[in-house]
Amino acid sequence: MEKLMAALKAQIVEQLNLQEVKPEDIGDDQPLFKDGLGLDSIDALEIIVLLQQHYGIRIANPEQGPEIFHSVRTIAEFITAHQTAK
Amino acid sequence: MYIYIQGTGCVSPQETAAGNALPATVSPWEGARLKAWEPDYKQWIDVKLIRRMSRVIKMGVAAAKLSLQEAGVEKPDAIITGTAYGCLDDTGVFLSKMINQQEEMLTPTAFIQSTHNTVAGQIALMLGCHGYNNTFVHKAFSFESALLDSMMILREGRLRSILTGAMDELTNHSFNILSRFDIYKKVPVTHEQLLKSDTHGTVAGEGAACFVLGTERGPNTKARLSGLTTLYKPAGKAEISADIDAFMAAHNCSQSEVSLFINGRNGDASGDEWYEHVENTIMAGKPVATFKHLCGEYPTAASFGMWMGCRILAEQQVAAAAMFKGEVPEKFEKILIYNQYKQTHHSLILLSVC
Repeated sequence: MEKLMAALKAQIVEQLNLQEVKPEDIGDDQPLFKDGLGLDSIDALEIIVLLQQHYGIRIANPEQGPEIFHSVRTIAEFITAHQTAK
Repeated sequence: MYIYIQGTGCVSPQETAAGNALPATVSPWEGARLKAWEPDYKQWIDVKLIRRMSRVIKMGVAAAKLSLQEAGVEKPDAIITGTAYGCLDDTGVFLSKMINQQEEMLTPTAFIQSTHNTVAGQIALMLGCHGYNNTFVHKAFSFESALLDSMMILREGRLRSILTGAMDELTNHSFNILSRFDIYKKVPVTHEQLLKSDTHGTVAGEGAACFVLGTERGPNTKARLSGLTTLYKPAGKAEISADIDAFMAAHNCSQSEVSLFINGRNGDASGDEWYEHVENTIMAGKPVATFKHLCGEYPTAASFGMWMGCRILAEQQVAAAAMFKGEVPEKFEKILIYNQYKQTHHSLILLSVC
């Protein structure tokens, strides 16, 4: 899980071009949107593509989005659950 | 009704983004391509927004912010821009991904940012400006079209201040493609050699220049925009002479009233013949300044020429680097700017002191 979260942080920083943020600056449980890291709806679309590209995962139910994308840990848990279910 | 230029801003291959006048010395360059001197954009743009912006968007926003600051205007009534190439870098990123990823899993950012009206839209979003917002993509008349639209709207009397400007960027891809059209010099030249060159081709350039236009003269007013006209594919040099004559007559300006003639000489022998003709006939004996050795050639380069003209009138002095021939006049009253792009798109801008 720790390895996956570290990889996710690096991928988020690169994909979203977060120029002022280093991967290690992002907390495991830090909210990614609004008052947390300050990401917005365009970033959410970028993360959806990131999950498809790097992990082969498609978000089937858009209503799950806020729950899955809450933090790096929730995304990592979603990936792990998806890979275990395969 | 008079139209005044209340503020100016420019990002170019010279250090113009530092504000104020054109630096006395040229930032030296060599080769066939001039790159914009870019300031620290964080002084104008939130870092959360910068991460999504390509160079042309940052240049355009910075020029807009500079001109608004100078004019003391927080939110203009309208935003009108001109660009020939639009946001080329983002277009390239998006198209490359389409090809490389077989049209699958395309990310939204590059697509959103690739449209030609991205700069005007981004400025409007940042300022919360919900007024008229338009972008003209008319090749080498893009800037002039934006300017003409602004002038017409102001003359209708419905709006008081308009942010207008032009921006174009050069990417590695666009430079390589344009080079294949035989536009640029094959042998490298320097800023000192370009205007004396008698060979084919010029140097590529880029930049953004913005102006705040209004109908009221204020303490910050830089100059008066007295006239603008365009001429597409004139039959010959006699026609351009006749057009300049008619343009000046239409604006009650005689040859003797012109303090300085600014033209778009770019070192391309055949193109410069047009300027030489005007310098030796209608503008004979007039001091001449030029600007393409400072910003390079690009379809909206006339905006740099107008920025330079505004600064000369505002400061009542011309940088030595801009003078091409003749004595520097003691006073600058009226400036005529004549620019042409590839000998097809010709434009005239008349500026007056306030």
